[in-house]
Amino acid sequence: MATITATPGLGSRTTEGAAIRAADLLRWSLDHKVIGLQYMASSLFFFIVGGTMAMLIRWELLTPALDLMADGTQYNALMTIHGSVMIFLWIIPMMAGFGNYLVPLMLGAKDMAFPWLNAFAFWLIPPAGVLMIAGWLVGPPEAGWTSYPPLSTLFSPDGQTMWAMSLHLLGVSSILGAINFVVTIRNMRPAGMTIWKMPLFVWAVLATAIIQVLATPFLTGGLTLLILDRTAGTSFFDPGSGGDVLLWQNVFWFYSHPAVYIMILPGFGMVSEVLAVHARKPVFGYRAIGLSSMSIALVGFTVWAHHMFTSLQPALRIPFMITSMIIAVPTGIKIFSWLGTIWGGKIRFTAAMLFALGFITLFVFGGIGGIFLAAVPVDIHLHDTYFVVGHFHFVLFGGSVFLIFAGIYHWFPKMTGRRMNERLGQLHFVTTYIGTFFTFVPQHIAGALGLPRRVAMYDPAFTNINTVISLAAFLLGISSLIFMYNILRSLSHGERVGGNPWRGLTLEWATTSPPPPWNFRGDPVPFDDPYGYGSDESGPYLDAVERRFPAPEEAAGA
Amino acid sequence: MNPSNNSNSLMTVVWILVAFVLLVVGGLIIAEATPLVLPPAASAEAVQVDELFKILMALGGSIWLLVQGAVIYSVIRFRARPGDDSDGASIHGNSTLEFVWTLIPSITVVILSIISFQVWVNITTAQDNAQVVETRGARFLWSFSYDIPGETQRVNSPVLHTWVGQPVVLNLKTADVNHAFWVPSMRIKQDLLAGRSTEARFTPILAGEYPVVCAELCGSGHGDMHSSIVVHEDEASFLDWFDEEAFVILNPPDDPAEGGQLLMTAGGVAGLYACAGCHTLEALGWDAIVAPNLENVADRAATRVPGMEVERYLLRSLFFPGEFLVPGYDNLMPQHQYEDPEEANYMPLDEALNIVAYLCTLTASGESACNVDMLPDMMTNMGMG
Repeated sequence: MATITATPGLGSRTTEGAAIRAADLLRWSLDHKVIGLQYMASSLFFFIVGGTMAMLIRWELLTPALDLMADGTQYNALMTIHGSVMIFLWIIPMMAGFGNYLVPLMLGAKDMAFPWLNAFAFWLIPPAGVLMIAGWLVGPPEAGWTSYPPLSTLFSPDGQTMWAMSLHLLGVSSILGAINFVVTIRNMRPAGMTIWKMPLFVWAVLATAIIQVLATPFLTGGLTLLILDRTAGTSFFDPGSGGDVLLWQNVFWFYSHPAVYIMILPGFGMVSEVLAVHARKPVFGYRAIGLSSMSIALVGFTVWAHHMFTSLQPALRIPFMITSMIIAVPTGIKIFSWLGTIWGGKIRFTAAMLFALGFITLFVFGGIGGIFLAAVPVDIHLHDTYFVVGHFHFVLFGGSVFLIFAGIYHWFPKMTGRRMNERLGQLHFVTTYIGTFFTFVPQHIAGALGLPRRVAMYDPAFTNINTVISLAAFLLGISSLIFMYNILRSLSHGERVGGNPWRGLTLEWATTSPPPPWNFRGDPVPFDDPYGYGSDESGPYLDAVERRFPAPEEAAGA
Repeated sequence: MNPSNNSNSLMTVVWILVAFVLLVVGGLIIAEATPLVLPPAASAEAVQVDELFKILMALGGSIWLLVQGAVIYSVIRFRARPGDDSDGASIHGNSTLEFVWTLIPSITVVILSIISFQVWVNITTAQDNAQVVETRGARFLWSFSYDIPGETQRVNSPVLHTWVGQPVVLNLKTADVNHAFWVPSMRIKQDLLAGRSTEARFTPILAGEYPVVCAELCGSGHGDMHSSIVVHEDEASFLDWFDEEAFVILNPPDDPAEGGQLLMTAGGVAGLYACAGCHTLEALGWDAIVAPNLENVADRAATRVPGMEVERYLLRSLFFPGEFLVPGYDNLMPQHQYEDPEEANYMPLDEALNIVAYLCTLTASGESACNVDMLPDMMTNMGMG
């Protein structure tokens, strides 16, 4: 892509080699690394916001009666904003941040295909965040992140409109970012890198981007109808005037089920990288993992109505059960392939690796819960209970968030030139693992026993189990503070590293840490096999990378 | 060389067999926990669903043990020893193994789908002689309306009564937003959709009282929207219960205030009014907190709007609830209308009159705060009736 690299004045990249500073994150920049970090920093901010809300929710649920909240509306608003923030302002943008930072580096490219579009997509996020929080103050949306009409149309105040506008902006941002990924990955691979030699993270981002381009327009389209119903007097979802409440459910889930894979597939890509590097062994079944990402993306479009087993026309329930069961197969292939990857390796217990291994053990629990929910007769009982809350938190927290943590420990040295503190990382892992297990396993049990979701008041029979859940959730809150402290401290005090502290073979490691403004000096040549650990050629290659991008002197002496 | 290779592969087979047996046994043990994580199965459908649940527990338990075991074994067996900087073996895959772990899950999900489909067919097949129950969800109250065998009288009540062995069909309709009718012990759940009528069915097999829960977010009082199903031992004990209820319904009191009280607990021509979903009134056992408290409401009604009589304030509040909002409460109450029995929120004027007469008696002193005889004239003056 010579046309891009030759364009002068793109962004502010005049000072060769200067590290990215905090102030740079507040400025308009076209550098994919700055944009990647902007995504990550803003997502971490919203992680804290959404996490604080989670703590308030668990505080309220310590007792069966209302105590922290004045009424049910306050609680509903809290859990609506918690869910919306965590999904649309934390996990999805965080994954976009990893993609932005890493994809051009892994491809040996100087930037994304459309740098201006890239920056524009990011800068839609801050106003969307402001809209969502402001809507809370105006008159809170209280229909949950799924916002089913008519509760979200005829029965909700103005904050619901602002919530919809916020999600609309985030949807547009997501589509624009995804187009950029597809074009970049399609066109900007270096010479010698066929699609069968792409890093698996790039495979995963490609699969994710395809879902985003195809599915997100359904979200934005549905939200357009919702906004029109609320503000322009239309009645798409108002049965009193010929509309249909199931229309929204179908359109919403046609996006929001694939969105589950938008939130997890990039993480699947990251865990493949982390496991191979820290177990010092090639990824087991590379093609199967790459292709299973694509088949998940494809089959993911045919399962949406399993979120509607209690509202869908009964005759349609069985077909959606079958597709939902099928999607367990490619997911299983991935899990077994990761087990094959660590089997026979030389496992290094870095913080990144701990989170990657912890992910496997937790995610399989989430996946098994998914089979329960796919089986229609069982789902009829479990639908909209705490079993579902436990299930999706297992795959989102035990899945996506564990992988985000793994990814941050793994690539932090590349982004900052400093390693995160491993001791604190271990403490973070242990507290997070225990907290996750004891928050979300009991939620499954409470749901199966009869506790519905989205309630501020509940049957006193569930007091004890809710106390356990809340205490474990508070431990998760503490563990997240440890993590944030580790990030802030390591930015200035972390051990300095060279270009390739983990001895990785993918291209992002074949440059300085952090990389220079145009990523590489000269055109980098990828190692033939991105996962060729243990091969005869990999040792000399990694030694050469280490000589070319050594750790700074002060670290070498320490 | 050869003998040791043979004994190695023999050992591998033995280990695989041992692991397989352990996983199956482990899964079966985990499946035994099924009754601990589910409420008692009180319907014929629940028994079948629980069988499927148990199969999933056994299968899921085995898979969970397999993956945990593989990870734990790997981190112990394949940890890098101190000082070992070397890489692992350069193995990129194994086609046979990958084929096996694609095929086995594929077969498993096909079998699971077939079993689930069978259970689904069984639990949704229509039964003869079902008790048909018109079930309405309104924020934040369930109400049931059904015929009694051999009687002309229909029962409206916030609690559903039936008996062991009697198949029940519920026709579900909502008065406002979507709700979901969930009876955990019966393992049934069905959404109530605005503008549509939906259906759920079950056959109770165990006498007792079982909670009914709203499982679809419906607003501020969602967590408090519950009821129960009382399953009597047999039809005879069901009819015994009905005789007591019927006596009251069939012999309505002459006094308007007493008639109003009965209307608020047993319903009127339009079914049960959803007052109990939002209001607190200890005398009737109401404890919801979404709407203003009704204890001694007539005392407060006298002072709420300067110059307005208690009767007029209460009557207007029934038909125009948004007119005088109590500070701190939103305009959530259905706006009743007295003109069209076919339309939503119908409340005939004579029933409204009785309800106001009853509300007027809710004072600290216990004395009615109104002149009940004035009410019909007042309605005429207000352009009603």
